[in-house]
Amino acid sequence: MMRFFVLIFAVIGLIGAGPQSASAQEKTAVQKGFELAPNSGKRILVFRPAIRVGAQSTAGLFEPNADWTEEATKNIQASLAEFQERIGNEVINAPEAYGAEAQNLQEHMDLFAAVSRSAIKYQFFAGQRLPTKKKDNREDIFDWSLGSGVSSLPGADGADYGLFIFNKDAYGSTGRKLLQGLAFLARVPVKSGEHQGFAGLVDLRSGDLLWLNADFAMGGDVRKPEGAQKRVGQLLEEFPGSDLPDGRGE
Amino acid sequence: MSKFRQLSLLALAPLSALVFMPPLHAATAPMPPPFEGVYQPQGVDEIGWWREDDEDERALLNSPVLIHDEKLNNYVTDVLCRTVGYDRCSATRVYIIREPVFNASMTMNGTMRVFSGLLLRTRNEAELASVLAHEFGHFERRHGLQRFKGLRSGSDVAAWASVLAGVSMNYGAHRSMHGLNYQIYGSYFRFSRDDEREADLLGLGYLNSSDLRPHAAAEVWENLMGEATASASIKGLKKPNFGRVAFFASHPGNQERANYLSALALPDGAGRDDGADRYREALADWMPIFLDDQVKLNDFGASEYIIESLAQNGWTAELWFARGELYRNRGHPRDLVNAAEFYREAAFADPDLADAYRGLGLSLMKAGKRSEGQGALRRYLELNPDASDAKMIRMMAPELEVSE
Repeated sequence: MMRFFVLIFAVIGLIGAGPQSASAQEKTAVQKGFELAPNSGKRILVFRPAIRVGAQSTAGLFEPNADWTEEATKNIQASLAEFQERIGNEVINAPEAYGAEAQNLQEHMDLFAAVSRSAIKYQFFAGQRLPTKKKDNREDIFDWSLGSGVSSLPGADGADYGLFIFNKDAYGSTGRKLLQGLAFLARVPVKSGEHQGFAGLVDLRSGDLLWLNADFAMGGDVRKPEGAQKRVGQLLEEFPGSDLPDGRGE
Repeated sequence: MSKFRQLSLLALAPLSALVFMPPLHAATAPMPPPFEGVYQPQGVDEIGWWREDDEDERALLNSPVLIHDEKLNNYVTDVLCRTVGYDRCSATRVYIIREPVFNASMTMNGTMRVFSGLLLRTRNEAELASVLAHEFGHFERRHGLQRFKGLRSGSDVAAWASVLAGVSMNYGAHRSMHGLNYQIYGSYFRFSRDDEREADLLGLGYLNSSDLRPHAAAEVWENLMGEATASASIKGLKKPNFGRVAFFASHPGNQERANYLSALALPDGAGRDDGADRYREALADWMPIFLDDQVKLNDFGASEYIIESLAQNGWTAELWFARGELYRNRGHPRDLVNAAEFYREAAFADPDLADAYRGLGLSLMKAGKRSEGQGALRRYLELNPDASDAKMIRMMAPELEVSE
């Protein structure tokens, strides 16, 4: 039931404060000194990506869609393997875990989410950025770690790096688009659709966060294979060792 | 402006048509409907939410807050199954979460979360069954999906109204918009309370048709009101008003729930067993842990109420010990006197309960009774020489040869 409280207060917030302003935010960071040459043949362990795809109701509620989510998961995983193959890395999907191993894995999934969300909130984007992190940004320091416990994760002994992916898409419903149109006339900014995600690369020995990319306004329709390809390109933007001509000219 | 008012009324019409539920006038809660087979989600929304719930459940399964003890899990699941029927309950999974709050929840896909604070407060199998059957009622009636759909249509109307008010840019339109928003939020919570009443009724129906005493359902709420009153009184607050329903209340008032649950319980069921002995036996290993979690909440009135309520079946070493901890944690000089007495009772009831000597020793030391306290602490170290705090305690109570 808690979820509905969160929802309703989100809606109250929306109505009370007026629709949020659309702010495109994206940023990438790499741990100082970390380099990965193209075609270095590293083995990358990909943890079960957290992917949610749905629609956005007129008022902005997330309406999950199982079919879209399934398609998107399939497409993103395929594009991901293709992307890494292109830059010369080997993708290994994390093995199914049981018992204590599964608990350890879940803890680390949550830990990664917490650490990367903190990095995004307190170092990446203006707003709640901490003074110490502002200083880090000036000095090009990106220093976050999950701790060496990651080396005990299932599948970690056969890989060099771990890749975590979070992705959420909410496609604007017809009602949302109509509302956006009318709101435009009323000069109220209403955003239709939400496409955000972040991805991080972790050293499976030290647990250090080597690379993190967050993008809160991505393109590409993940429900289609070619759209997912574009999305993976944006999720893995400036991925170490990906300075290949991939058409995006970043 | 009047045109806008008409529009807002028009938009509300489908909402208000659904707001009023038939009053509860049956003599007893109706018997549960016949089992229609295992339900599968239908439609985009329901299938989508079930998938979200599946993901959450996947994470929950490996969560450190979960109590994995098979014996306890089997017992709680069995209480649910015996109450709602084994055919029905096969669609749900029960998870026990170690968190000292009175709560249980049910998701659309049949994930039932039972919090340890609930297990501490229910005093017998029938009380536990009433809460589990209530949660199962939400699942059976698919309330979660209805809440989502209700919230979505309500918020859609509110979103249109706010934009339309923005277009018209006049004071009256804004005022109408705000009035409309209150109506929408009000009806959302009213729907939520109606769902709770329906689940209460359905849960009681299961209890009426089980072999447990259905009157226990009302006693859960009476007990909870007693606890809230005790908690408020120790804090010097006004006695809570259990009849009042706040605008944002998601559940009906506790008094109302206790009243209708007691009125609709099957009178013939009053003589039935409520399974207090089975319940105590099944929870025996966990009671000290749940009590400890509760004591650490620093809610003196509520904890004292719970301990005394559990002690109605006789004081045990664990209850005396928990009470000692409660008083020692509050730690006024007058509390230390009481705490020492409670620890002595605990040690009397179970002479091998090492922690009772620890508590006794620390209480006495703090109250200035040094040698007496050191004696108790030495007894603690004798009983539990490998305690994690053994080194610290040894500093407070050195071996006799050394100190002389």
